[in-house]
Amino acid sequence: MRLVGAELIESREILPGQWLQSYHAPALATGSRAGQFVHVRTGDLSGLVLRRPFSINTADLATGTITIHFRTVGRGTQWFTHLRPGDTIDMLGPLGRPFEVDPRSQHLLLIAGGLGIAGVRALADEAIRDGRQVTLLFGAASARDVYPTSLLPDELEYVVATDDGSVGRTGFVTELVEDYESWADQAFACGPEPMLRALARLATTRRGRLGVAKLGRKRGAGKADPPGSPAARRKAFLQVSMEQRMGCAVGACLGCVVMTTSGAPQRVCREGPVFASEEIDWEGGWGR
Amino acid sequence: MKAKRRVVTASGASVPPARRTPTVRKPKSPFLPARQRGPGAVTPLTSPDPGGRPGTDGLPVDLRVDLGRGLVLPNPILVASGTFGYGTEYAEVVDVNRLGGICCKGTTLKPRIGNPTPRVTETPGGMLNSIGLQNPGVDAVLEKYADTWAGWPVPVIVNVAGESVGDYVEVVKRLDGMPGIAGIELNISCPNVGRGGLQFAIDADAAASVTAAVRRATDLPLLVKLSPNVSDVRPIARAIADAGADALCAINTLSGIAVGPARERPLLGNIYGGLSGPAIKPVALRIVYEVSQVVSIPVVAIGGVTELADVLDFLAVGAVAVQVGTAIFADPTLPVRLVDELAGECRQRGLTSYRPLIGTALPKRAGAPSSKGAEYRP
Repeated sequence: MRLVGAELIESREILPGQWLQSYHAPALATGSRAGQFVHVRTGDLSGLVLRRPFSINTADLATGTITIHFRTVGRGTQWFTHLRPGDTIDMLGPLGRPFEVDPRSQHLLLIAGGLGIAGVRALADEAIRDGRQVTLLFGAASARDVYPTSLLPDELEYVVATDDGSVGRTGFVTELVEDYESWADQAFACGPEPMLRALARLATTRRGRLGVAKLGRKRGAGKADPPGSPAARRKAFLQVSMEQRMGCAVGACLGCVVMTTSGAPQRVCREGPVFASEEIDWEGGWGR
Repeated sequence: MKAKRRVVTASGASVPPARRTPTVRKPKSPFLPARQRGPGAVTPLTSPDPGGRPGTDGLPVDLRVDLGRGLVLPNPILVASGTFGYGTEYAEVVDVNRLGGICCKGTTLKPRIGNPTPRVTETPGGMLNSIGLQNPGVDAVLEKYADTWAGWPVPVIVNVAGESVGDYVEVVKRLDGMPGIAGIELNISCPNVGRGGLQFAIDADAAASVTAAVRRATDLPLLVKLSPNVSDVRPIARAIADAGADALCAINTLSGIAVGPARERPLLGNIYGGLSGPAIKPVALRIVYEVSQVVSIPVVAIGGVTELADVLDFLAVGAVAVQVGTAIFADPTLPVRLVDELAGECRQRGLTSYRPLIGTALPKRAGAPSSKGAEYRP
């Protein structure tokens, strides 16, 4: 975790209301892994008291740059769009725990809902660099929100679903999963909570149908790993990147928790944002 | 990171450990490295002070604060409970040992899972939170952090919350005598829990009884945190002071709500949250101004400190120290910077101590303020 000044290199509106910004922050780019995030201070001090968390969309070690991808939803995010190349902002990161890919996994399925693409985008780069095959399933409301192919690696298979059918398959992105679940060794998802909940359900039934637990020396056999550990995530078929309203982003304020099946709330900023899907209590059981 | 200058007194390492007594207790001398600090090592209050940034020009400025019962902070800038975790979370980017003190996250007897989410939201000039005192319970807190705290020169003050007087007393008994605990901050004013908490802060008799019970259970320095969610805080402050508190902290958050994006229900999972940040500074100033005139024990101010001017404002209305809270989220390095800036401000004014800055905006009075018999006259 470092607190650095990051200089804006490039800023553009890649989709209506959605921005992609590239910052020069070598100290953050070097140490970061896919799934981690940065916590950024707005320069608008007229009443905005909290930083804004952004997934590290991509990290380029050669140039020392990271990119963030966000939608303008309020005064804070609006402020970022007014920055000009050369402006420096205050970034804290890299924060949180990354995705963990099993070394044996050759086929990775990435599933993104809308802006959730920012949460899994870096994993596509990492996996392709490591020689893995990657399929990205992307869901959006309509064609105007579909993430541009030009911004994705060439090696990646890109499948799109839109709610209104204006491009790709008509329906939710979760309906695409069926075609890929036997191909995929592991899946990684980021998006709205209803989407993640549906995927978690699919992952559970997949374990019953396609799981390998007692079929010999394959993933799933062996000793149990402590919940929340990198090893537990590495063994999970589905890892999800969770979103929550955040305060400090370093684990101090306990604002950004999610309920887990162990009955103890876990911090999205510290124990997450990436969790194994079976760690999350999808019913949000707070006992009340 | 800047090297810290430490003043090692000749007697520091050689004084044999003395038996702890309530009045001479110096649990955390800021002037000696932890390994050289024994229970009997008492630093005279007249020794040179390391509070200001070493190496900057001018005279050293005495920033030390005596909160009573032997709790002497190296400087008057603390971090507020709930915004700094247990001190370890920010340690990678902040030199915690340059702080005047750390108030840790609210600690209860039993583990608490806290409130449903969402728990925080930004509001104009501030934020609402309703964490609901999530914490692993006092035993787990001690097991996990007491050793770390004992090794830090910075005093750690444990914020204690409970649902009943018995809860408070039990937690405090477990903290009593533990190395690494410099004091207790009694949280009788958390607005975010259903039972207990707030009820003690809105009634003078209840506040006095919980303070007195805790006072009997420990001789650790005892701070009590006041709630702004009352019509007149003065009788409550006086009752707490009379019941044996060593210092008062003001203020906790103001109760508030926010509405969800679809306007179908309130936004926070708990509906109610506590408002903090610059938005509440005028309220905090008013309460510190009122309280510091009716009690003779030190008052520690909390509420919307984001820059040196805020620190100076709170000192002017009678606070001897301030806690920085919500502003840490935007700028974790702020509290340490404020320590340097306060020392610089004193130097600029030709002061060798920050104490002349205290109470300058209070009504002039002939004698010292009394904690007894000062009745409210509108």
